[in-house]
Amino acid sequence: MSSDSFVATEDLTKVYSSGTVKVVALKDVNLSLEEGRFLGVAGPSGSGKSTLMNLLGGLDRPSSGNIRVQGKSISALNKEELALYRRYQVGMIFQSFNLISSYTALENVAFPLLFAGVAKKDRAGRAEEMLTKVGLHPRKDHRPSELSGGEQQRVAIARSLINRPKILLADEPTGNLDTKTSHQIVQTLSDLNKDQGLTVIMISHEEPLLAEFADEVIHLCDGKVVERETIR
Amino acid sequence: MRISDYIEQSVSNLRKKKLRTFLTTFGVVIGIGALVSMFAFGKGMQKNLTDTFNELELFNYVGVYARSQEDRETKPPEDPNSQEGASRPIPVLDDAFLLSLAKVEGVEWALPEIRFPALIRLADQEEFSLIQVLPADICQAGFVKLRAGEFYTSDEENALIISDSLLRRLKIKKPETAIGREIEVSTLTVDFSLSNLKNIVSFLKGTGLPFSKQSYKFTIVAVTERMGMSGPMPVRSDVFLPHGTSQKMKKISITSVSDIFQSMRPSQGYSAVGIKLSSPKYVEPVKTQMEESGFETFAMLDQLEEIKIGFRFVDLFLFAVGMIGITVAALGIINTMVMSILERYREIGIMKAVGASDRDVKKIFFFESGMIGFMGGVFGLALGWIVSTVINLIINSFAVRQGVPRMNYFSFPWWLCLGAIVFSILISLLAGIYPTIRAARVDPVVALRHD
Repeated sequence: MSSDSFVATEDLTKVYSSGTVKVVALKDVNLSLEEGRFLGVAGPSGSGKSTLMNLLGGLDRPSSGNIRVQGKSISALNKEELALYRRYQVGMIFQSFNLISSYTALENVAFPLLFAGVAKKDRAGRAEEMLTKVGLHPRKDHRPSELSGGEQQRVAIARSLINRPKILLADEPTGNLDTKTSHQIVQTLSDLNKDQGLTVIMISHEEPLLAEFADEVIHLCDGKVVERETIR
Repeated sequence: MRISDYIEQSVSNLRKKKLRTFLTTFGVVIGIGALVSMFAFGKGMQKNLTDTFNELELFNYVGVYARSQEDRETKPPEDPNSQEGASRPIPVLDDAFLLSLAKVEGVEWALPEIRFPALIRLADQEEFSLIQVLPADICQAGFVKLRAGEFYTSDEENALIISDSLLRRLKIKKPETAIGREIEVSTLTVDFSLSNLKNIVSFLKGTGLPFSKQSYKFTIVAVTERMGMSGPMPVRSDVFLPHGTSQKMKKISITSVSDIFQSMRPSQGYSAVGIKLSSPKYVEPVKTQMEESGFETFAMLDQLEEIKIGFRFVDLFLFAVGMIGITVAALGIINTMVMSILERYREIGIMKAVGASDRDVKKIFFFESGMIGFMGGVFGLALGWIVSTVINLIINSFAVRQGVPRMNYFSFPWWLCLGAIVFSILISLLAGIYPTIRAARVDPVVALRHD
C-alpha cells in the first residue's frame, strides 16, 4: 500500500453471518488509489463489488482489515464520526437512484445539507447551483416519478456532490439506464473527475464504459481482486 | 440539524399521511381531553368548596356542644390527681353562657342552634323543612344575603324568612312575589288531650306516636339567596323564625334519634351554640377556652387539611382514570411511528447514506412523536374545555331548576392548561422512544436494498 494513496484498503475482509452459515463477501482485498483518479470495479454478480462500495462509503464496517482515506483509518471511526465521513468525505450514487419520491428534485439535492446544518435559504441556493451543473435546473420542481432514469441519476449525482466530497462512489449507476443515457451519465462522472479532480470509484458490468472512461480497472471474483489493469 | 429543520421535517412528514396523523392525534386529543376535564372537575370542586367556605366564613366558625353525662363519666380529667373533674358541675349551654361569650376576644356573635322539623305549606304546595330560630339582632348582622324583602326587626314578629331554593320547590319562581304572602307552618307536638284520642290509643297499643299537628300562620318578609346546606355556619336552614315567636309555638325539637334520647333527660340548656369569630386566628384560642370550660368543640378549620388530603385522593383517582385514555393514545402513537418507520425504511437508509447520524434519525422521529403530542395537547385541552363547558351548562340548567345556585363545576387554572400540553408532549416522547431506537438501528445497507 503506497503511503501517498488517497484511498487504500489493507487485507479488507467482510464476512456475513446468517445463523451458522458464514458467507465471505470480500477476502483480503488490497488496493490503493491516488487522488483524482477514476477507478472502475468490474466483476460478476456476487463477486463483492457492492460490499466493497458499502465499506468504502462507510455504510458498513469490515470484518477485518483496514480502509484508509487521506491517511485516516475509517474502520476505527465511531458511529458519529462515520456519519460525518459519509456527510463530507464521500458522495454515493446507486443503480436504483435512491431518491426520496415525495421530494422534488431540488429538495432531494438539498437533503444532505439538512444534516450539515446549512440554513434553509442557503440550502435552496446551493441545490439550484448543483442542479444547474448537471443540466437539470429547469426540472427542479419535478418529483422523481416525473423524471426519466437519466434525469433521476443526474439528480442523485447532484445530491452526492452537494457537500463537496472528495470521493464519489457509484454503485452500478448505469444499471437501469439505456446505452445512450448510460454513456451520458458516465461522461458526467468523467467530467467531474477531470475538471474538478474528484476521485471516482465506479462499479459497472459494462466493461466498454469502464475501458472508455476509467483510469484503472480492478476485477473482483469471489471476493478477491483477480486482476488490476491501468488504462491510462 | 437545526431545531427549525426538525420541526419543519416532522410537520412535513406528518402531513404526508394526513388521515393516519389525524387519527393518531385524535386518540391523544380524546385522552388529554378526558384527563383535562376530569382534573378540571376535581379542581372545580375544590375551588367551589374552598371559595364557599371562605365566602360563608366557615373558617371563622366554632361549634360548641354540651358534653353528655356519660361522656363526663367515661372521660377522666386530664390531671388524674385532680378531684375537680368528678365534682365539677356539668357546664350548660344556656343564656348566661351566651352572655359570657360577649367578653371573649374575637367573638362577633353567638347563636344557640335551635332547629325543629315542620311542614311548610304555601298555597297548595307542601314541603318538609328544618326551621331554624334566628334572633332579629343576628339577622341584622348582615351575614344572610337577601334576594327580596327585609329582615324582621323584632323577635316577637309573626314573620318568616324563606330561602329561594325552598320557594322554588314550592313552585314560586320569582322571590319578590312571595313577599307579604301568608305561609302555614305545621309542627309536631306531644298531645295527650282527648282530641288526640286516636293517636293516644295507637300509642298505647305500640303502633303509633301520641303526636298531633299544630299549624301557625306567618307572613313571608324576606327571601334569602344561598341557603339550605350552603348557608353560612351556624346559620344553615331554608326557613328562619324570630326567637320570641318560636317560643310561643308548640313543637318538638327533634332533628335526629339522639335528640329523642336527649329530650328524655331534664333540660340542660341548648344542645349546641355556634360562635362566629371575627378572624380564623381566634379559632384556636376560643376552642381551647371552650374545651377548658368542659365543652366539646368543632371547627371547620381543623377539617381543612383532611379535606385537602381527600381531594388529593380524588385527584389521584381521576388521574388514574384519565391515564387509561392516555395509555391507549400512547399505544396509538407507538403503532403509528413503527408503521411510519417501516414505510420509510428506505428513506432512513438514504438519510444515513447522505450523512445523517443515528442521533439525527432519532431526533427526526422524536420530533414527529412530540409534534403529535403537542397537537394532541393543544386540541385535547380545547376539547376538554368545550366538553366541560357543555357539561357545566347542562348541570346548571338542571340545577337552577331545582333551586341550586348557578356555579362553575370545572376549573381551568393556568398550570392545568400548560401542564396538559407538556404532559401530552412527554407521553408522546415516551411513546416515541421504542420507534426512534428502532429507526436509528436501521442498517443503511439493508435499507438501500429494500424495495
